[in-house]
Formats: sequence, C-alpha cells, structure tokens
Amino acid sequence: MRGSKKGSVLLVVMALVLSLFLTACSQDTAKESEGGKDADKNPSNEKQVEITWWNFPNFQALDGEVGKYEKEIIAAFNEKNPDIKVKLEMLTFEGGPEKLNVAIATNTAPDMIYDAPGRIIDWGKKGLLAPLNDMMPDDVKNDISPALMKQSMVGDQVYMYPFNTGPFMMAVNKTLFEDIGELDLLPLDRPDRTWTVAEYEKALHAVKEKAPGIIPSGFYAKSVAGDQGTRGYITNLGTSRFLNEDYSAVAINSESGIKGLEWVVQASRDGLVAPGAASLDAGDHNDLFLQGKMAFAINYSAVLKSLFAPNKTEDFEDVLLPYPTPDGSDPKLEPFLGGLAVFNNDDDKKAEAAKKLVDFIVNDPEWGEKNLIQTGGLSARNSVTGLYEGSEYEYSELARKFITDPPTIADGYAEVRTFWFPALQEAILETKSAKEALDEFAEKSNAAIEKAKAANK
Amino acid sequence: MMSYLFLLPALTFFLIFVVYPMLRGIYMSFFDYNITSFEFIGWDNYGTLYHDKTFHKSMINTIVLVAVAVPIVIGFSIFVAMSIYKKSEFIRSFCRGIFYLPAVTSVVSVTVVWGWIYHPNFGILNYITSFFGIEPVSWLGDPKTALMAITVILITTSVGQPIILYVASLGNIPTTYIEAAQIDRATPWQIFRKIIWPLLMPTSLYVIVITTINSFQCFALIQLLTSGGPIYSTSTVMYGVYQQAFLLGNFGLASAMGVILALVIGVISIIQFKYLGNDVEY
Repeated sequence: MRGSKKGSVLLVVMALVLSLFLTACSQDTAKESEGGKDADKNPSNEKQVEITWWNFPNFQALDGEVGKYEKEIIAAFNEKNPDIKVKLEMLTFEGGPEKLNVAIATNTAPDMIYDAPGRIIDWGKKGLLAPLNDMMPDDVKNDISPALMKQSMVGDQVYMYPFNTGPFMMAVNKTLFEDIGELDLLPLDRPDRTWTVAEYEKALHAVKEKAPGIIPSGFYAKSVAGDQGTRGYITNLGTSRFLNEDYSAVAINSESGIKGLEWVVQASRDGLVAPGAASLDAGDHNDLFLQGKMAFAINYSAVLKSLFAPNKTEDFEDVLLPYPTPDGSDPKLEPFLGGLAVFNNDDDKKAEAAKKLVDFIVNDPEWGEKNLIQTGGLSARNSVTGLYEGSEYEYSELARKFITDPPTIADGYAEVRTFWFPALQEAILETKSAKEALDEFAEKSNAAIEKAKAANK
Repeated sequence: MMSYLFLLPALTFFLIFVVYPMLRGIYMSFFDYNITSFEFIGWDNYGTLYHDKTFHKSMINTIVLVAVAVPIVIGFSIFVAMSIYKKSEFIRSFCRGIFYLPAVTSVVSVTVVWGWIYHPNFGILNYITSFFGIEPVSWLGDPKTALMAITVILITTSVGQPIILYVASLGNIPTTYIEAAQIDRATPWQIFRKIIWPLLMPTSLYVIVITTINSFQCFALIQLLTSGGPIYSTSTVMYGVYQQAFLLGNFGLASAMGVILALVIGVISIIQFKYLGNDVEY
C-alpha cells in the first residue's frame, strides 16, 4: 500500500514535470510564431526570404576548404539578390544521402540541392520537387543531349537543371607503358581511342609480364558507391545493356552481358585483376591506381581526374580510355551528370528564390562558366565547349558522342543497386556462375522495379 | 519523497530519450513509413521479414557473431585477469592499458587499422602468414573468413572493460577461501571452478549481458569494413536496420527489424539473468 502511494506520487510529479516541459515548448513555439507575425508586419523584412542550400562537394575545394567556393557564390548571388538569404550546408558523399532521407521524411528538406539524377529524379517521381520547366526554354533544352535531358525529367516535367557532365570511362597509367616499352599497345593514336577486348587483354598481359610488381587492372564489389564503373565495364566487355530501354527490366543477364561478367571472372583467375575485389570499394580501387600500383582503373572521368589529382602519390601521366568492346565498336559510356533541383516545401516564395539561385549558378554571365570550371566537368550544354586546355579534356569532349542512358532514373533504382555488388561478389568469388548471379540479380531487381513502379503511380 | 525527486531529472530524460523512442519505434513498425508515405499496414512488415532470406541470413550472422564473441571475450578476460591480478601494480596497469586501449580509441580508427591489417594486397597479416608458406587470403573478401575477421576485431575491442572488472573482482575475493582449498589439496582448476568462478558470477553476469548486447549491436565495423558483404556473409540485423532506414528510406521495415532485435536481446538477457543471476555474498 505504501509502495503504491509512493508510486502514485511519483507518477503525479512526473506528469507535472512533463506537462511543464511541454508547456514551455509550446510557449516557445507560440512566441516564435508571434515573432514570425511581427516579422511579417515589418516592411523591411517582408521581402527577405531565407532558403537553405544543401550541397555535396561538387565544386573543388577552394584553398583546401570545403564549402569556401560555395560561400563565394552566395556572396556574389547576394550582390544581385540582397533580399534572399542563403543558408549553406555542406554534405558528404558518405553520410549526405542518409541525412537527406531523414530530412525529407521529417519535412525538413532543404530548399535547393545540387546532386545527381539517381536521387533527384526519384524525389521528382515522389512529388517532392518543384518543376523547373519555366526555367528551361526550348533553346536550352535543345542544346542538351537527349540522353542528359532524359536524366533530368519525369514525363514532361523537368526536375533537375543539368549542369556539368562527363562520360565515365577507364584510365591508364601511360608512364608505365612508356617505361615497359609497350605504349603502342594502347589505342592512343586513334582519334576516338576505341579498342577491342583482345587488345586490352594484350596490354594487361604485357603489364603482368614486364612489370610484375604492378597489378594490371582493378575491380571492386564492396559498398554501393562507384557502381557505374563496374556497370560500364561489364556491359561494354559484352556489348550489353544494364536495363532495357524503357527501364522496366534488367537486361544485363542477356547472353552478351553474361559474357562480360565471365570475362572479369576469368581475368581474376588469370591474375589480371587485383586480388580481393570482393572486399575492395571504389575508393580502394582508385587508391591503387593513384599510388601507381595498378595499370588500369575502371572508373574514371575528366571530373574525377581533376578531383583525384591531389591524391596522387606517384608522379605519372594518367590518360582516359573508353571501355573496350569485343569487336572494337563504339562503346556506350554512362555519363556523370550533376544538376540542381528545388524542393517543393509548400512555400512559393522560397521556391522562387531557390530557382533564382539555380539560375545564377548555372547561367550567370560571369559565374556560370566559372562555376562549371570549378566542378572540373564539361558543360551539359552542347554549345559550351573549350572550357579547358589539354588533350584529356579534348578527348572527354569527343567521347560525349559515346554517352548512353544510364539506369539511374529507373523506378526502384536505389534498391536495385543494393543487389548489384552482392551479385558481382557471387560471380568473382565463384560461389555462383556469372549466369546464375546475373539471373538472380535480375529476379530481385525486376521485383524491386515493379514494386517501385506501383508505389510511384 | 525526496529521493524520488532526485531521480526525477534522470527519469525524465530516460522517458523522453529511451522510452518514447522505443514505443514510437514499435508503433512505426506497423506502418509503411518511407519518405513519402505513412500508411498503417498492420503486421505486413513482420511478414516481409519472415519471408526475406537476406534478413534470415542477417539474423543467423548476428547470432553466430554473438555466440562466438561472447564466450571468447569472457574466457579471455578471465584468463588475462587471473594472469595479472597478483602481479605488481606496474604490470597490472600496463596490461590493463594495453587491453583497454582499443576500447577507448575511436571505433573508426580501430577499424581503419584493422582494414589495413586485413588488406588482401598489402596487409600485414598476409605478410606474416607468408612466412609459413600460406597463400595470401582476402580476409574480408572471402565469405568463409569475413565474419571470423569481423569477430576477431569485435573481441579485441570488447575485452578491455571485462579485464578491468575481473581484476577488481578477483582482488575482492577473500584469500582465506583459496588458502583453505589449497590446504585441502584442491587443484588450481578445482579452485577456479568451485570458488573463483562462483564468486565472480555477479561480475560475469554484468559482463555477459553487456557484451551480448554490444555484440548484437555491432554496426560500425561492418559498415566500414565490409558493407555487409561479401554475399551478405557479414550482414547483421543492425546493419540491415541502417540499410533499410537510411539508405533505402524504409523506416517502417527498419523499425520492425529493430523491434525483433530488441525482443531477441530481451529474451536472451532474461535467460541470462535467470540462470546466472544468483546473489553472491562474501
């Protein structure tokens, strides 16, 4: 009895404390909202709009400081738009996607984001973004390749303003081939540098024989990052597609796709691929190349080349190459594409202000080109060329003709990509044949695509 | 009354930051909760998990991890504690420091170091095994070795605190009991089994429960070293919760996984308390 009396007292006190706590919170909220009303009444604040910009490190760090360049953009933007206050928050590629998922789920999404189609188009399909059609007249749309526009739209609505691009391809340590006297094995004297799988194999064997301390090529199957490199590599080795043309089903489990993966498995057995690929991620793979320990990297681009430059521990010349194909035909390269999107946060003023910032970043006569160069990428616009000097940028411009449509905007892509690396692990560890691994991948992925299609309807 | 008021601040925080999120998690597990919807679906999330082979694999991996790590942590901690507790203060402090270091170092730093130790091409472990004519092994890249490799790291980061607790507990055992047993010509093993182990039981119960819970919640090692691979061989329930909630945005399904994990931990803890929780006074 005594115990229950004490328990009742305790409960009453707890309830009292909690109610005080909640009352205090609600009073704070009430004060804030009153403050908000006062601010609305104040004519000087009437036009002031505050927007948030969440940005991945898409611009190269200025003076080694991440976000410094973005602050310069905001300062320049504010000179022309003093009535718009921009709050910048830098994300990391590792934790950023998670933070965005949580923010969207809790209605605290930013107003503007600079990201890639994989996420942006998924948000577009879920009705979370403001359409940007009013910002993109026909002359701008027509100046962007259909493959890139397809990555920026859902139906006839533009949800991402495409900004910088560059085809994903391979890279080779040219200096190494000069050192071993086998430079002629590389297709560098051909204008478009296309080559066959047999020629590629010959180059790999030359490294294995003449530079035994160097790993001929790399592969990776850990995490989900850098999946475009493994996709492009395998689809070209077998001349296949990853998904079918309407993104409704997996196509990589075709006969030619299986051949591509079988080639990787055989090359692993032959010691032409870095051992332990199942436990390496894209970063480990790139590190091997940048440290001069590996001759070919399978996930490179003009953008990555400039981003990776500070990480090189060996002095060598890295040169871009397209993925080889069985008959030397034109490769199909997935594009890197960066673009800007505006979240629909039920506030027209904020959406308009965010659009102004998007327009400034992409189209400002002074800052547009400067911003593009700071990304190290090519322009999404076909008419904007010659931004950089150097053979690799020239080649990157030329290789734009090989750009194909990537699977990133498929329904359920986020889930599909989680099945990809386990399938690769099954094949390279030979716990399943390439066909079995890809068939199983197709089965799981097709189910995920169907489910997502139904959810997005 | 006064004593209850002193409890109030901690209790308030406990209710707000532990009890409420827990209840909310249970509630969310009955919803299709993703970044755009919050729809009641009853037991569907649990049904999905019941049929999900990846979740089954994760649960098995989790149980294997706990079943291997916990006995080794307990056994190794007692062995080290028994070896050092009668030594000089300097040796005791030195050993405690060595074993406690991985426990206080950031898990990310420890994991990065182990990542290099296990590296298939440049790892020191393969370098050492090469002296014995063993071919290089991809420790984290082979489904046969990956979970074992993770377990080893989990053990090294978990033994620090138990060693300190056991050294302290051993020091509290009255020497008269052991001396009496020695006069009766009891063997060292008999002394350990009949006197020391029972008297260490309160400490062991705490260590077993805490190590079990920590092992069930092992996440950072897996996220940083293997991402659940290769071929889901290191995927645990905690990693699955993270993947569903934060990578795929399926908060409802992740909550259901969390509830199942909490239930499993709860049941195991109750069993541990029931069978190991005898009061010992000396």
